[in-house]
Amino acid sequence: MASIAVVGQFADIQGRPRRLWTQSLSWVLFLVGIFIYTQFSIVRHKENPEDRVVPSVSQLYHGIRSAVLEPAEEDDPLDDNATLAQRLTHSMLAKDTMSSAGRFFAAILLLIPAILIGLHMAVFPYAEALCLRFILFFDKIVALSLLPILFIAFGIGDWAKVMLMVIGVAPTLMLDTYNLAKAVPREQVVKAFTLKSSNLDVAYRVVLKQILPQIINSVRLNLKPLALFLFAGEMIVSSDGLAYRIGIMRRHMGMDIIIPYILWVAVLLFGLDALLKFANRRLHPWA
Amino acid sequence: MYCRNHGKNAGKALKTDGCGPFSGLSRFSVLVLVSIVALGVSTPARAAVPTFTVGWSVYAGWNPYFYMAKSGILKKWADKYGIVIKVQRFDYAASLDAFVGKNIDACTMTNMEALDMPAAAGIDSTALIVGDYSNGNDAVLARNNLTLAQLPGKHIMLVQKTVSEYLLERAMDLNGLGAQIPQLKLVNTSDSDLVGAFLGNQSNQVAVTWKPLVSQILAQGGNVKPLFDSSKIPGEIMDLLVVRTDVLARPDGVKFAKAITGAWYETVGQLAGGQAAAIKGSADASGDSVASYKDQLKTTYLFSSAKSADDFADSPNIKQKMELVRQFCFRHQLLGQNISSVNDVAIRYPDGSVQGKQDRVRFRFDSSYMKMAEQGKL
Repeated sequence: MASIAVVGQFADIQGRPRRLWTQSLSWVLFLVGIFIYTQFSIVRHKENPEDRVVPSVSQLYHGIRSAVLEPAEEDDPLDDNATLAQRLTHSMLAKDTMSSAGRFFAAILLLIPAILIGLHMAVFPYAEALCLRFILFFDKIVALSLLPILFIAFGIGDWAKVMLMVIGVAPTLMLDTYNLAKAVPREQVVKAFTLKSSNLDVAYRVVLKQILPQIINSVRLNLKPLALFLFAGEMIVSSDGLAYRIGIMRRHMGMDIIIPYILWVAVLLFGLDALLKFANRRLHPWA
Repeated sequence: MYCRNHGKNAGKALKTDGCGPFSGLSRFSVLVLVSIVALGVSTPARAAVPTFTVGWSVYAGWNPYFYMAKSGILKKWADKYGIVIKVQRFDYAASLDAFVGKNIDACTMTNMEALDMPAAAGIDSTALIVGDYSNGNDAVLARNNLTLAQLPGKHIMLVQKTVSEYLLERAMDLNGLGAQIPQLKLVNTSDSDLVGAFLGNQSNQVAVTWKPLVSQILAQGGNVKPLFDSSKIPGEIMDLLVVRTDVLARPDGVKFAKAITGAWYETVGQLAGGQAAAIKGSADASGDSVASYKDQLKTTYLFSSAKSADDFADSPNIKQKMELVRQFCFRHQLLGQNISSVNDVAIRYPDGSVQGKQDRVRFRFDSSYMKMAEQGKL
């Protein structure tokens, strides 16, 4: 009966796994994923040693090496005696990451006004009357279908891509901020006024201050849609960027580059998310 | 439903008293099980007819596949050889993915993609039919009377790493501007958005694309003119029907090759003969009007008889053209990041000669089926 007790422990809501268990269990699915991939790759390479669809470990290694250390094909090759630091900063991956990151952060900066609009909509009734219905409607527009118009309005440079991200994500963020701000108890607002607060004091120092941690969480959840819109824009028209490279590599099944790129994007987004989470905890220890 | 006397009934699982392993699943599921088994038994009988799938994508030279299937020409030839041939329409890139993934047996593609997609991915493939070559279908377009010499520094919109980029480099090369190719600023633009993005903004001055997009741009953009087109590099951009070589090695694969080749030349024969139904049927394949399709055909050198295609495939000319294309692919790393020499993806020609390393033949031109068609032996 001892074995049943052990099984019972795993299915117990009240169970308290030890640190060793939680640590090791959290890696199990990663290992399963890697195992399935390698098996699949081995099988395919047995059939066709040059298979490019599921690259082998050595193919991936070469792909990563050339992406991290060698400049993009369209750039000038580096001198043979370039230092490692020079190689890293002039590599294809660095170039693509920089240009995508530039667009990404430009879009995030442009989301700050969106958050403020949401706040004002919730706090000021006239702003609510003016904006709410329109934004509720605007939110339902599928931003991707506007791309041809964006390219005409903003050209084929970076602005069209940044605007696509902003148009895609801003309405959601506005409405989320609006809902969060609406949920702040009315009593607090009244109380603040009795303490001689001005309108702006109430908006920024009472309402915004306490919903900010949730807004940051909302931005965290929206990182992925942002990346999605960035990728869509870069795949359609661009001359650099992470998704540009993936699009180019797809033309000749360069999965040895594409897979590392996809993982790199995941790592970047994961890191940014962790950073926001950390900042949130530091800035708002009470939340 | 909990069955108490489970132990007793275990041996009579299908008894209809509602107990046993099938209790609660109802008779219906038993029926389903039985029919699945029955299907499993009956399918081998049907699968005895070998089935082949041909992928095609929209292009003047490939639209006839749609008409070929719809008009019954293909079925007639497939029946003659006792096989089934399905024709499936794809987006171009998706068709190549499906071919490399071995989900389809044959696929239409240009000579360039034949090299850099299946062949470079280690899928030994064979060009069965040389259907046509682009004779003006692809073009470099520019606003404001720009000349080729003025292109460096200007943004050039095109689908990168395709025949468009090849055409652009050839244009520069043939006009003595080869040294300036690295200064070209290319903007990779999806073909679905290229026309709108180019026409929408006057500051986009140069685009490289293919018909019918070329015609759409020329019709709407008042000051846009073609600078160079593929009629100046005849035979370099070929449109092929490519089959996996291992399919051709099977006896039923040979039947497939014969049937599709026979059907193809009957179809293009109708097209070349100006049969209205054939032209309308092919124009319908891409939703083009007959006039627009005829305009595309004018700049497509369709090998209207097996003899003309065969002569082209057997000529020494084809090797020179493929040499240009394979060097382009290698220069742009389209043969793979780890390929150290252009000779690692070798090409075999109908006369038995090999371009590249003998032991690394990945792409073959096989004119034998076109010859059979020519001699009426199909």
